[in-house]
Amino acid sequence: MNNEMTLSFVAIEENEALARMAMTCFITPLDPTIEEISEFKTIVSEAVTNAIIHGYEQDGKSLVTLHAIIQDNKITMTVRDEGMGIFDVEQAMEPMFTTRPFMERSGMGFTIMESFADSLSVESVIGSGTVVKFEKTFSPVTEVSRMR
Amino acid sequence: MADIEILDNGILIVSLRGELDNHKANQIRTHISTSIFTGQVRAIIWNLERLGFMDSAGIGLILGRMRDLVPSNGETLILNPTPTMEKIFKFSGLGSNIRHCTIDSAIGEIGGVLHEQ
Repeated sequence: MNNEMTLSFVAIEENEALARMAMTCFITPLDPTIEEISEFKTIVSEAVTNAIIHGYEQDGKSLVTLHAIIQDNKITMTVRDEGMGIFDVEQAMEPMFTTRPFMERSGMGFTIMESFADSLSVESVIGSGTVVKFEKTFSPVTEVSRMR
Repeated sequence: MADIEILDNGILIVSLRGELDNHKANQIRTHISTSIFTGQVRAIIWNLERLGFMDSAGIGLILGRMRDLVPSNGETLILNPTPTMEKIFKFSGLGSNIRHCTIDSAIGEIGGVLHEQ
């Protein structure tokens, strides 16, 4: 099955749930396992939360844009903001690194995203924004897996 | 979203439901912290049996409350996470706090630890 979508929403925390819900619906036709759904939702949630609170500091008016393509059993997705950008991407991707410890951000977002995605890349320019791109493959449904 | 109960022996039980993300964590953080400081809490049991989703905001919330417990040298146990949550806890160094058991046996374990001290 092939499909494509784009979704934009303003940078408020409430839209973290919207993003997870919309993206879960989009992959449902691929018949993913519960664990695949939950790993995928986690990647989406981490990337969208980063865009909302780090990219835009929850300004309530700038747009986060999700774009996704499904080809066969694989999704390729980008989460884009035009916010402040990441000063040092390599450092941001280190486990436990956060610029906002006072907000109890754990600094584990990128580690989790990298672990749950097939591949993940981050492009960021200070003052112009950040694009997180990732791919995730869902296990093809067979008669045997359906019986389980 | 979060049921909070303090037992007489200073054990706080937080039962989470629904989806725990950054937004939800911000809504319940103060409430849980207040319970810890007003209730003279010595240990926290996070019951995740009915939690459907959690991202790294859950790690921030639980690590933050572990810091609240440092003065009382308190224990933290995390009960019954899903396989995906369990992976997230393990990435974050919280694997040894996970138990797959009932609340009663977790209370028993913490009770035993406190008794030995």
